[in-house]
Amino acid sequence: MTTTLAKPRPSGADASRVGTARRVYALLIGIAVLALAVLASVMFGSRSTSFGDVLDVWSGDADPYLTTVVESRYPRTALGVLAGVCLAVGGTLMQGITRNPLADPGLLGINAGAAAAVVSATAFLGVSGQAATVWWALPGALIAGLLVYVIGAAGADSGVVRLVLAGAVVSAVLTALVQAIALSHPDAFDSYRYWVVGALGGRDFDVFRSVLPFALIGFTLALLLGPGLNALALGDESASSLGANPMVLRSAGLVAATLLSAAATAAVGPIAFVGLAVPHVVRALVGVDFRMQIAYAAIVGPALLLLADVVGRVVVRPQELMVGVVTAFVGAPVLLFAVRRMRGSA
Amino acid sequence: MTATAERARPGVLRIGRVVALPVHRGYLLAALAVVVLLLGASVATLTLGRLGIPLGELPGALVGGAEGSDAFVLERLRGPRLVVAIGTGAALGLSGALFQSVTRNPLGSPDVIGLGAGAGAGAAVFALLLPGTLPVWLGALAGAALAMGLVYFATGTGFRNPGRLIVAGLGVAAMAFAFTEYVVYVMERDRASVLMAYVNGSLSARDWDHAATIWLVLAVVVPLAALLGRRLDASEMGDELAAGLGADPTRTRVFAVTLSVVLSAGAVSVAGPIAFVALTAPQIARRLTGGTGAHQALAALVGALLLVLADLAAQQAPWSDGLPVGIYTMAIGGVYLGYLLVREWRRGRL
Repeated sequence: MTTTLAKPRPSGADASRVGTARRVYALLIGIAVLALAVLASVMFGSRSTSFGDVLDVWSGDADPYLTTVVESRYPRTALGVLAGVCLAVGGTLMQGITRNPLADPGLLGINAGAAAAVVSATAFLGVSGQAATVWWALPGALIAGLLVYVIGAAGADSGVVRLVLAGAVVSAVLTALVQAIALSHPDAFDSYRYWVVGALGGRDFDVFRSVLPFALIGFTLALLLGPGLNALALGDESASSLGANPMVLRSAGLVAATLLSAAATAAVGPIAFVGLAVPHVVRALVGVDFRMQIAYAAIVGPALLLLADVVGRVVVRPQELMVGVVTAFVGAPVLLFAVRRMRGSA
Repeated sequence: MTATAERARPGVLRIGRVVALPVHRGYLLAALAVVVLLLGASVATLTLGRLGIPLGELPGALVGGAEGSDAFVLERLRGPRLVVAIGTGAALGLSGALFQSVTRNPLGSPDVIGLGAGAGAGAAVFALLLPGTLPVWLGALAGAALAMGLVYFATGTGFRNPGRLIVAGLGVAAMAFAFTEYVVYVMERDRASVLMAYVNGSLSARDWDHAATIWLVLAVVVPLAALLGRRLDASEMGDELAAGLGADPTRTRVFAVTLSVVLSAGAVSVAGPIAFVALTAPQIARRLTGGTGAHQALAALVGALLLVLADLAAQQAPWSDGLPVGIYTMAIGGVYLGYLLVREWRRGRL
């Protein structure tokens, strides 16, 4: 990393004074959108139900069939909220720590690690079903993250760039492994192709419960790190003089990002662009304060993911489009428009 | 680039008045070594394994005396496959060399900016969704062209800004991958699995038509690339200097990227999107010659060598039963990419 001139930034007092009203509005709107997204996720599906139907079910007046239909949408809604929080907060941490606006938890080799574990478990141990594969995907993702971290941190001073590069390498090699196994074992191929699109449907509360502890630990760690990351954003020297240890902060942040992303990926498969896009939205809303960014990401992320899932359920009824496909086709054009505003050549 | 003045003056290979290639002795030695290795790998491809032609009978068989099973192996099974592998590898190596010269980005290659992903999506459409309307390779070609077109227009500056090129490529590739994954998801397993093999890039069951296609592409593009060589070297020194030397940098760039994309597209149409050869071959070529210079020809040779070796592994590896060659290039290329990136980082260029 070459030295760069510190950009002039608004002083803390100014930023907070300007932002307070805006933050409150953003918070209220964010919560409202999230509530609507949850409601929509319960309401829409291959069999359409009205808002009145949903209210009937909640008050216990509905017939058993309707109750079953609506209740069948609870697990995917819960998973959508959980995965949305995990991906968005994980992405915020990654972008904050690497100072790379394109950083995304997938960079740490997590998707490839989870895929490799799912495929190997199916091919060699005959594991099948979403609830069972989650217990393979989770350690697979964590081990890949750890491996990336060990390779990336080896050497004299471990820069973040090196870490990202290690992620690319581990991903490439693991992807080759995944493809090799998937193409020589038909069962593994099946579980791979269902897993890799990234979907909220077809999973039950067991999946949710399996990943919840990891998500909670990661999220708590992220909240604790907020003030430290603010110090880190001023540069390593300034952070040290404020009493923060940059190395420890970065490591803890990456651990939290890894836990969160691994939980999400294990539960619902790889989902593109939520971890990439939400931090940008959140920064535009609340500015550079990491405590705020993390809190808002935990609202915007699930709202976005649930809305994408609802869109996927509605556009090709009675089939449905998996949420991973929807986020790619919504996120990529956004990225393409953002490209035009890029300056410089790196 | 600072060392060029100290280096011994190269001899110059002239063809008429338009082509004048500087030739270093080190360069010739490197090229010769790669050719020898390529020949060795080719002989191994033809002779190893259960169906291999015994080494003693190979010269006779090549001259025209192949009989029985040897003739079948040489003319149907491994002969065309080897010729396709050499041609495709050369096309990919040259494609990457042109692309990296123009973008001045050692990590650039048409497959990084979405060409391979687009080809996979195109193949998915015409193999699975609309079977029979177009041959799969033509669908792949169309997908690749569409992806390149999207990247070109999304950047707003064409192929000029490497940073934008890569980010736009990321976006286009993400959409193409999501689409392919979706199609693979909704198809029944057997058909989907055939597509997956194609999407990884495969050289199995190639015939002489494939060989003719890729060599025709090479026959058209290589002379043009040779004509472009000096201008490219000039443009690597920077736009102002290139313009001062009389090489219009913008036209050179657009022309070179076009050639690069045509080569990659040709490779895609015969072998599917094969990962990492276009990326690594020019890098190895540069290491062999120790710097700048007309390394395009060497990159093509190295590309051919890499692909023939990977295909040899794909055919003969004891643990695999005909895995597509693209998986081997991905694994090898991934490791090499890591090495390369870490090196760059150490030099402080990232």
